[in-house]
Amino acid sequence: MLKVLIIDDDSIVLFIQEKMLKKYGITDAPISFQDARKAIDFLKIQKSGDIFLILLDINMPGMNGWDVLDVIREMEISEKVFVFMVTSSIDNYDKEKAKNYKNVISFIEKPISVDNCIKIKEHPELKPYLLD
Amino acid sequence: MSYIPPVLKILVIEDHLGDFILIEDYLNEIQSDVDIKRACTFEEAKTILKSDIELDAILLDLSLPDVDDREILVKDVVEFSNRCAVIVLTGFGDRDFGVKTLSLGISDYLLKDELNVSQLSKSIFYSIERKKSQKQLSESEKNYKALFNHSPMPMWVLDRNSLKFLSVNDAALELYQYTREEFMNFTVRDLWVNPEPKIEIFVQRKRHDFFGFSISHKKKDGEIMHLEIQSNPISFDGHEARVTLVNNVTARIKAEDQLARSDKRFKALVQEASDLVMILDFNGNFSHVSPSSDLVMGIPADQMLEMNFFDLIHREDINQVKKNILKLKNNKRIQIPSYRIKTSSNEWRWIETVFTNLIMDPAVNGLVANSRDVTEFVNQERKLMDSLQRYDIVAKATSDTISDYDVQKDILKFNEGIFTMFGYKIAEIKVGRAWWRERIHPEDRERLYKNTDEVYKFNKSTLQIEYRFRCADGSYRYVLDRSFLVKDSKGNPLRIIGSMQDITEIQNHIQTIEDHNERLKDIAWTQSHVVRAPLARIMGIIDLMQTHDDIVNQEELLKHILHSATELDGIIRKITNQTEQVTQNFPEC
Repeated sequence: MLKVLIIDDDSIVLFIQEKMLKKYGITDAPISFQDARKAIDFLKIQKSGDIFLILLDINMPGMNGWDVLDVIREMEISEKVFVFMVTSSIDNYDKEKAKNYKNVISFIEKPISVDNCIKIKEHPELKPYLLD
Repeated sequence: MSYIPPVLKILVIEDHLGDFILIEDYLNEIQSDVDIKRACTFEEAKTILKSDIELDAILLDLSLPDVDDREILVKDVVEFSNRCAVIVLTGFGDRDFGVKTLSLGISDYLLKDELNVSQLSKSIFYSIERKKSQKQLSESEKNYKALFNHSPMPMWVLDRNSLKFLSVNDAALELYQYTREEFMNFTVRDLWVNPEPKIEIFVQRKRHDFFGFSISHKKKDGEIMHLEIQSNPISFDGHEARVTLVNNVTARIKAEDQLARSDKRFKALVQEASDLVMILDFNGNFSHVSPSSDLVMGIPADQMLEMNFFDLIHREDINQVKKNILKLKNNKRIQIPSYRIKTSSNEWRWIETVFTNLIMDPAVNGLVANSRDVTEFVNQERKLMDSLQRYDIVAKATSDTISDYDVQKDILKFNEGIFTMFGYKIAEIKVGRAWWRERIHPEDRERLYKNTDEVYKFNKSTLQIEYRFRCADGSYRYVLDRSFLVKDSKGNPLRIIGSMQDITEIQNHIQTIEDHNERLKDIAWTQSHVVRAPLARIMGIIDLMQTHDDIVNQEELLKHILHSATELDGIIRKITNQTEQVTQNFPEC
């Protein structure tokens, strides 16, 4: 089963992204976390057999996006975790850095657009688990 | 003191007693002290003669009982007489034989019938004296023969007309290497190298005179000799001959030849050399000028001799020259620094002179001046000086520190810049590359060494590099060092001329600019994120409102938009303030 997580410290961003994911049929029940640590706790108790899509903000107070990736990399379910990095401004430094993380599939510049949603849906790993 | 004649020793061979007593009486009358021996027979006479007894004369009677042939008797007695005088006594009838005996070697003959004291005395003494003379003559002839034969000088006797050899001495045999027999078959023409028609005529003309000449002869082995011949006419064994003395002068002629050559060479060295040699006194009067004066000054030597040395010298140089020459009163030799002399074409030439005081040498009796034209050299030197002075002026004028490094000797020199720029006094600088290397900032060293090594390795000739150099007070200054490598003809490095420009100020400016840029970049980056966050939110909400017809709580969304817009406004104001601050802090360039 596909589980979709949204991690962002900005509640409005969470609200917008939940709406978009639902509207474009990626998931009916996105799981939102304003605090990255709680997202980690959630992932830790997941069983194998599920597949995870995460929209991850980079700049967050406390634990930022990179810290989250570091933890995920070490998890058992790591191979089933697909991450889209979401940021207000994409720069090359981030893109270079992301190459060190297998889990990162792509970058999305805020606000999330229709095109972004279509791209997520078309992803070969995720497609079989999506609605429609 | 009265004269006492020596004892007269006489042998009388006489068988007739009466005749003997008569002769004995005569003899005692001639001289009081006479030693008379008598032999009655030839046998007795022989016994006495063989006993080595000394005799002055023998009186021989030809009629002896034991002798038949009187001729044999005379010959035998003469033979045994040991060269003493033999006087024959004969009867009147034998006068003819008596005359004949003279040719057999006797001294005189007397007729018994006419014998008297005076005749006998005269005959005895005359015969004795003649014998003595003969003896002396024979001795002297022997001596002369020995002188001829054993003379170390080659000599020969030859026939004056045929020029055929009559006698040759040992030295001549040794010189020509012919045997005596060979010589005796030769004429002197056989020794000549070539036919000598002139000599033939000369010898013929001077046939009876002494003469001497030079000629070449060849030895048996063909070797040619140069000879000096002296020849005297003589009479030799009845021939018209001449005795010739040969002096081999081959070695002398060779030596003379060599001497002449070396003399010539020496003259050539002195006269043809470009050096000007003069001999003069302290007043500048010449006593000798070498022919090269024509070459150096355009004035022939004989004209120079009429001039005075000091008149030829440039006005500005004359005092210096005179002062130096005066030093010769206490010094044997001095070298005068270059000075100018006037040539025949009124040009000035620079010359350099070594003076040697040989006034005490009677062969010279003057100051020997050996001069060399150094005009070209002086001109070159001047050019070089000019360029060096220019270099010095440039080095002083520039604010850069100029370094001059001698690669081979590891000597490093600086201009004043090392003091004005870095505070090192020239005297404090320990020569060498190490001194410079120690003062390079540790962080720059590795890069600098690598770059300088490459200059050598890739045979580059220039290097331009920036680094920090430590000052005398311990602080560092940024320098831009431009170096130029001077190489020899084989490409080996000789010197490195460097110019260190102080770029600390520029470097500081650049650093400041870079710092500001960095800060501005930071501001731009972070703020673009901060700015975009509320903007992205606004855009996202608007998008939602446009596409989601089913959104219920539109008011809530509008509130979010307002909140985000306010946030955005605050952020933009902050950016404006910060940027203004950066501009104010930025120093004026």
